Amino acid sequence: MNRRRFLRQTALGLGAGVLAPGLWARGLAQGGAANVPANLFQEIGRRGGTLTLPLGSTPQSWNYFAVIDNFAYTVLNNVFDRLMQLDQVSFELVGVLAESWSISRDARTTTVKLRSGIKWSDGTPFTADDVLFTFTEVASNTNLRANQAATLTVAGVPLRFEKVDDLTFRVISSKPYGAVLQALTFSPILPRHKLAQFKPREDPGGFSRVWATNTDPKEIVGTGPFILQSYVPDQKVTLVRNPNSWRRDPQGNQLPYFDKLEYLIIRDPNVQIAQFRAGNLDQVPITGAQFPELKRLEVGGAKIRVLSGSTIYTSPPHWGFNFDVPNPELRELFRNLTFRKAMQFAVNRKRIIEDVYNGLAVLPGHGVAPGTFWYYDTRSYLGEFSLERAAGLLDSLGLRRGSDGQRRLPSGRVLEFAFTYASDSAPFAAIAAILQNDLRQIGVKLNLQGIQQGTLLATATGGNFESILMAYGDQPDPQLRKDIWQPGGQLNYWHRSVWPDRGSSEPKFDQMFPWEKNIWEIFRQAEQLGDQNERKRLYDRWQLLSAQNLPVIMIAKPTAVAAGHARLGNFFARDNRIIFTNFSMFEKA
Amino acid sequence: MGVYLLRRVLVAIPTLWLISVLVFAVIQLQPGGFLENLLEDPRVSRETIENIRRQYLLDQPVWVQYLHWLGGIVRGDFGYSFLNSRPVSELIWERMGWTVFLAFLTILVTWVIAIPLGIYTALNRYGPSSTALNFVGYFGLATPDFLVALLLIYWVLSTGGTNVGGLFSPQYIDAPWSWAKFQDMLAHLWIPLIVIGLDGTATIMRQMRANLLDVLSQDYIRTARAKGLAERVVLWKHAVRNAINPLISLAGLQLPTLISSTIIASIVLSLPTIGPFLYDSLLNKDQYVVMALLMLSALLLMVGNLLADVLLAWVDPRIRYE
Repeated sequence: MNRRRFLRQTALGLGAGVLAPGLWARGLAQGGAANVPANLFQEIGRRGGTLTLPLGSTPQSWNYFAVIDNFAYTVLNNVFDRLMQLDQVSFELVGVLAESWSISRDARTTTVKLRSGIKWSDGTPFTADDVLFTFTEVASNTNLRANQAATLTVAGVPLRFEKVDDLTFRVISSKPYGAVLQALTFSPILPRHKLAQFKPREDPGGFSRVWATNTDPKEIVGTGPFILQSYVPDQKVTLVRNPNSWRRDPQGNQLPYFDKLEYLIIRDPNVQIAQFRAGNLDQVPITGAQFPELKRLEVGGAKIRVLSGSTIYTSPPHWGFNFDVPNPELRELFRNLTFRKAMQFAVNRKRIIEDVYNGLAVLPGHGVAPGTFWYYDTRSYLGEFSLERAAGLLDSLGLRRGSDGQRRLPSGRVLEFAFTYASDSAPFAAIAAILQNDLRQIGVKLNLQGIQQGTLLATATGGNFESILMAYGDQPDPQLRKDIWQPGGQLNYWHRSVWPDRGSSEPKFDQMFPWEKNIWEIFRQAEQLGDQNERKRLYDRWQLLSAQNLPVIMIAKPTAVAAGHARLGNFFARDNRIIFTNFSMFEKA
Repeated sequence: MGVYLLRRVLVAIPTLWLISVLVFAVIQLQPGGFLENLLEDPRVSRETIENIRRQYLLDQPVWVQYLHWLGGIVRGDFGYSFLNSRPVSELIWERMGWTVFLAFLTILVTWVIAIPLGIYTALNRYGPSSTALNFVGYFGLATPDFLVALLLIYWVLSTGGTNVGGLFSPQYIDAPWSWAKFQDMLAHLWIPLIVIGLDGTATIMRQMRANLLDVLSQDYIRTARAKGLAERVVLWKHAVRNAINPLISLAGLQLPTLISSTIIASIVLSLPTIGPFLYDSLLNKDQYVVMALLMLSALLLMVGNLLADVLLAWVDPRIRYE
C-alpha cells in the first residue's frame, strides 16, 4: 500500500469512528431481523460450498454503464445492488438499498431513505452520495453506452436528485412522474469513492475504459452479496462472498450461504445442458422446448429439479407487418385492419402453445404481461383460430383465389409476402412453419426468410422486411416500454414513416392512424401522472386499442422455466412463481 | 536464399496493404453497424448513439477512418475494441496462448497419425484394415466438426462421464498448475483433438495415400527395386520422401487456420481460443477487432507459405530459389 492510499484510508477510518455510535445502535437493533423478503426462503440454509452457473459468453467489461452486455450484467448483479427491486412473488417493489420511500402529494418529489449500516466491500460506508453520483454522473449521462437517461427524464426534463442527509435523498421532477420508482430500479448503485476520479461527465470515453475485464478485481467494490475474485478469459468468472455483505436471513445469519459463486463460460446452449446433466453446473437456463426432456429425467430419478411459473419478463413473440413496405399493393393491404384481422384468425395459438411451447405458454396480453397489475384482459379480442373466417375476410377484401388456389392481389399478382424470423431460435422456426402451412390452405403464400436472431432487431428497425416475427420483453411498467408501443418510438418498427425527422422529437402525426394518435396521447398523459389508478385506466385503453387495431399480432406469452440441481436449497416454485436468488440458495447436506 | 527471403518479405508488404483495404471495405459494406446493434437495448437513445459515434470517429468518412486505423498500425496500435472498451492487442494476446497451444498440438497429432496411416493404406490397398481406415477417413471428411463434437459429448454423457466441453473441470480452471490439473487437462483434451483434428487427419491421410501410390508406380522405384535395394530403403528413402513434398506446401496453408478454422468447434466445446472471439466481433461489427484478426490471418498465411517454401527447399535438394 502506498503512502497516499494509506493516509486516505486512515482518514476514512477516522470518519467512521465519529459516526460509529449511531451506526452501532442501529446495527444492534437490526441484528437478527431479516432484511430480505422472507418469501425467498423455504428453509434456513447452511453456509458453505460453491454455486456454479453457466454464462453464455465472455463479459465485455466490469463497468456496468459502459457496455450493453447481459453477460456482464449477470455477473455484476451479484456485486452491485439496486435501490429497490420487484418482489419475485407479488411483483411489487421492495426495498434493497432503500429502506423506505414516500411520494409527495403532487407526485413530483420522491424521498428515499437508505438502509443504514451498509458498507462497500472495501469498508467504506455507503451513503446518499453514492446514489447521487450514480444517477447524476453516470446513469443519466447520455455519453455512456448503457445510460438510462430515457427513463430518468419526464416530459423532456431530466429528474433532479438532491441529497437530504447521508442516508436520505430526494428525486424531483418538473411534472408528476408515475414510473419514477420503476426508473430507480434500473441502475445498480456504484461506489463514488472509486469511480468519481474518472470524471464520467467530463471524459466519458476515458470513463468507459476503466474497470475493463483485466482490472484488478479488488478495485471493483460493491455492496452486493458477492465480490469478484478472478476472471479467466473465455473460461470462468469467480466471485466470493462479500465480507461486508449486509443481507440477513430470517434468523439473522449473514447471506449469501455459498462461499463462492462461479460462472463457467459456455456458449452453446446444448453444451450448457450437457454440463448441467454431467453435474458440473448447478442451474441452467432452459426453454419450454427443453422442459419435457428434463422433466422426464427428473421423474426418472435424475438429481435435478425442473420448475415452471409465470413471470413478467419473458418475451412474447408477435407478428409485425411493415406499414411502409415499398410494394404499394402490400403496403395498402398491411395497413388494412381487415387484412390483419384475417391474419389473426389464421394464427393457431392453441397449437403453438401446445406444440411449440409444450404447454408452457399462455395467451398473450397486448404489451403487458398477463396476471400483473397493469394487465387488461384482452383475451376476448384474440379470437378463435378459424381458417374459414380468415378466408372469408380475405374474400371480402376482393382477394380471390385463382385457378391454382393462390389468392390474387387487385393487380393480378399472386398474394405472397416474406415472413422474416430467427431461424436459430427453435420456437420461432416452429411458429414460422405452422403459420406458413395454415396460410397455404387459404391461398396465402408466406415466403419464409430465416435470419440470425442477433440481427432480428436491426432488420426490423431498419425496415428491411415485409412481415416479421419479433419479440420484445415485457416490463413491470408500460412507461418503460413506450419506445416500443408509442407510435413514433424508436422500437415501433412497423410504422417507420411516423418516426420523427432527424433532430426533431415530434413524430409525424399527419401520417398516423387515428388510433395511433390516441395511443400516442395515452402514453404522453400517463407518463405525467402520479396517480397509479388513473394511469391504469389510460393504459387499459391502450391495451384495448391495440387488441382492436392490431398494430402487431401477439402470439403467445411463454412461461418461465428453470432447471436446477437437486442439491440446491431455496430453489422452488410457489404460487405459480419460480423463486430463487444466488444469495438465498444453499447446498443441501 | 537470403535475397530470396528479402524479396518475399518486401512483396508481402504491399500485399498486406491491399488486403487491409479490401477487408476494411468489406466490413463497411455489411448492413447495419456496431452502433445500430446498440439500439436493440430499449435504454439506448438516438442521442447516445450520435455521441458514441463521435467518440469513436464513426461519423467521419470511411477513408478517414481507414487512414486513422492505418496510422495506428504503423505506431503498433491496433485500435480499440468497441465491444470491450479495451485495446484490441490485449484482447488477442489474452487468447493467444491456448489458441496456439491447441492448434500446434492438433497439427502435430494430425501429422503423426495421418502420415503413417496414409503410408499403411497405400501399401495395403485392399486389406480389410485399410478399408476400415478409409471409412473412418471418409467419415471424418464428411461430418461437420460441431456434429462430431455433439456426438462425442452425448457419448461421454451416456457413459456416465462428466468431462464435456472446456479444457478443465471447473475447479482447475483458475488453479495453479499441478499434476492433478495436468491429468484433468488430458482427460478433457482428447475431445477437442478429435473434433478439430479428424478432418485434417482424414485429408492428410488421403493425400499421403494418393501421393505414395503415385510415386510407387514411378520408374525409379522399379529401378530401385530391380537393382536389389531392400524394400525398407525403397519405401522410406525413395518413395516417402518424394511423396511428402506436396504435403509440405499444404502445411503452409494450415497456419491461418489457427484463427478461423475452429470457430464452431470452439463454441460448441467452450474452448478459450480466438475463434469465438472473432465470431462475436463479426456479429457485433466490432470493426477494429475484425480488422486485426483478419490481418493476422493474412499475415499467418504468408508466413506459412514462406516457411513451407523454405522447408521444401531444405527437404528436396532439387528445389532452389536462386
